[in-house]
Amino acid sequence: MAAKINTLDPPSSASSDSDIEETQADFSEVFPDCEIEEEKSGDFYNTPASPITVPYCPRPPSTGSQKSPRSRRQRTSSLNQAAKKTAAECIIRTQHRTIYTAGRPPWYNSEGQKVEPFVIGICGGSASGKTTVAEKIIESLGVPWVTLLSMDSFYKVLNEKQHEIADKNEYNFDHPDAFDFDLLISTLQRLKEGRKVEVPIYNFVTHSRETRTKTMYGANVIIFEGILTFHNTKVNEMLDMKIFVDTDADVRLARRLRRDISERGRDLDGVLKQYTSMVQPSFNHYIAPLMSHADIIVPRGGENEVAIQLIVQHVQTQLQLRGLKLREELAQAYAINKQPRPDTVKLLPTTPQIRGLHTFIRNKDTPRDEFIFYSKRLIRLVIEYTLSLMTFVDKTVETPQGVLYHGKRMATGNICGVSILRAGETMEQAVCDVCKDIRIGKILIQTNLQTGEPELYYLRLPKDIKDYKVILMDATVATGAAAMMAIRVLLDHDVLESNILIVSLLMAESGVQSIAYAFPKVQIVTTAIDPEINDKFYVLPGIGNFGDRYFGTEPSEY
Amino acid sequence: MGSQDIEMSNGFDYCQEYKGLQVLHAHHQIKELQTILRDKNTSRSDFKFYADRLIRLVIEESLNQLPFTDCKVVTPTGATYNGLKYRSGNCGVSIVRSGESMEQGLRDCCRSIRIGKILVESDADTHEARVVYARFPEDIAQRHVLLMYPIMSTGNTVSKAVHVLKEHGVKQECIILSNLFCTPQAVQTVLDAYPKIKILTSEVHPVAPNHFGQKYFGTD
Repeated sequence: MAAKINTLDPPSSASSDSDIEETQADFSEVFPDCEIEEEKSGDFYNTPASPITVPYCPRPPSTGSQKSPRSRRQRTSSLNQAAKKTAAECIIRTQHRTIYTAGRPPWYNSEGQKVEPFVIGICGGSASGKTTVAEKIIESLGVPWVTLLSMDSFYKVLNEKQHEIADKNEYNFDHPDAFDFDLLISTLQRLKEGRKVEVPIYNFVTHSRETRTKTMYGANVIIFEGILTFHNTKVNEMLDMKIFVDTDADVRLARRLRRDISERGRDLDGVLKQYTSMVQPSFNHYIAPLMSHADIIVPRGGENEVAIQLIVQHVQTQLQLRGLKLREELAQAYAINKQPRPDTVKLLPTTPQIRGLHTFIRNKDTPRDEFIFYSKRLIRLVIEYTLSLMTFVDKTVETPQGVLYHGKRMATGNICGVSILRAGETMEQAVCDVCKDIRIGKILIQTNLQTGEPELYYLRLPKDIKDYKVILMDATVATGAAAMMAIRVLLDHDVLESNILIVSLLMAESGVQSIAYAFPKVQIVTTAIDPEINDKFYVLPGIGNFGDRYFGTEPSEY
Repeated sequence: MGSQDIEMSNGFDYCQEYKGLQVLHAHHQIKELQTILRDKNTSRSDFKFYADRLIRLVIEESLNQLPFTDCKVVTPTGATYNGLKYRSGNCGVSIVRSGESMEQGLRDCCRSIRIGKILVESDADTHEARVVYARFPEDIAQRHVLLMYPIMSTGNTVSKAVHVLKEHGVKQECIILSNLFCTPQAVQTVLDAYPKIKILTSEVHPVAPNHFGQKYFGTD
């Protein structure tokens, strides 16, 4: 099952090793303008925005040493509802347009504050069917973004002596001491806060962590599964729902025998010895007592449809209470309470030039070459203006004329640009033209046509982005939903809110309000603010779809 | 933008004295560009890069001085936008050689604008400026002229150039001088002689960075 999800996981990711070619093809087909690089340069987070799968992560040898390389049980993963569909179903084609669905939907509310994900803990003895239960829950939930975190990622790194013991099948992997609970707690905590985490990849052959890590994000639902999930009280406090999968010892032993002998080529005596000396006692000592922490005990594991339906119903109710109808809410919020425009909003002085440029790019009859030319001029002006908002310090220089000149110098050397694909990309050139050697990150956010919500697909940011002033670029901001998602992403990467500037050519009043009040320290720079947005979330009077007009991808009829 | 004292230091006080003078809003970032250009330790590639940025800003601001009329356009969403349209019939004139550094900036803003040239040389003995070469669009008398000259220290060259333009029938009020750095003396010389022209500059400062042309073109 797990392996199946892995291969079908279409928008997967840079770091999943098996699907790279496929993924690339998908992306480049759909977004020919955006370059999807797969190189793993150390300078960048190379992070898929959408479902994340773990590269090869073998089953832990609660069974002792690994003899067969075939056991590719995928444990820790984020996956997507669409993952179970075929890749073709994830692409919607309407009016000659191809749109990829299945990005990451909003994980924060209309105030930009994160909505805590619902964390489900699943505990149970080895081979009790925890993963099956988890998968069944994911399947029935219908939530687009789920992260599945496995305790197996948190095995401790073994020293040489322990390594020898492990080689003799005598190291007890079922004992609580085998796990690094500190790392586990901090990881789960960050996931719960919606932040990016680096989950270690445990190598069961060398019993150490690989240098690579798995990048994961928080999600609407996080499922955490493992044999000792409820062992630590701090972990327990973070779980919103605790499920214990109680499968008969005979069944579990039978499953282990089948798995270890037929799939991993181990001999019957070895498996039985390990089971009686370590697995069984550990279960009785440590795992079985954890049942008392559980909210729900599921007998017979994944086959128990009734139990799973009950769980799913409960989770759905909980999720509905936390409600995520972002874009609509944003659009409405402004209509209800009009507030004064905050001072973080920096509107360029409306000079005749700026109005003249707007006249060109707003006119629906402007040919594309003129549209591009005049947009570029306007972009240059807004970027120059943005730079004037940076902090400056006094500087005195010597001049060739022999006198001293008291001038200014920018206080921060670290500025980077981040563009929101696709329209934001049009602004990259201008940033490069005014800042030498500037680093440019990218975030791809698309609107899901079915829900109308923005979804995050792809992102690639400078590695140490937290130390940078970030110029976040999008050509137009209507409801502000995409901009807020991008800001949220930056904040999740530990960028200071006061270091973010969102820059655009045109914003709607409501979008400005939503962003400004959700993120009061983010500076908002634009050349014009239009009064309203229509029911398709376009700004009025507006520019139309800026990206389509700039790149020439307008549908033939509006 | 910018506090009062910074604006003063950039030459805003001269604006009160001379109606025809306009100084670019002194953002700190413009000050930074000026600082880099004046710093004698700036490398040539940096110098050119930041000079081009400052030129672009000055040109964009100069274009604001050109005449326009209101107009309405329909946007792709079907709504109406109240915009404006620039009148055609403008042209640029650069004073050779340093004025030519500003031509690209003007081209970047107005793709097909006509650009004339004047070469003014000062006599080695008398220091009197004399026109060596001038070539303008034929109908320059009907046009608004954007005269480009980045550094003005005495104002003699510009006075001479304006004189030539007048001879070609250009009205004083149709001349806009785009300038990066000028001295108070130059402002006085030019505006006393031609009170109706407009000067647009980024800084009025007693010491002009006279190395501009040489460093920009790399002939020092």
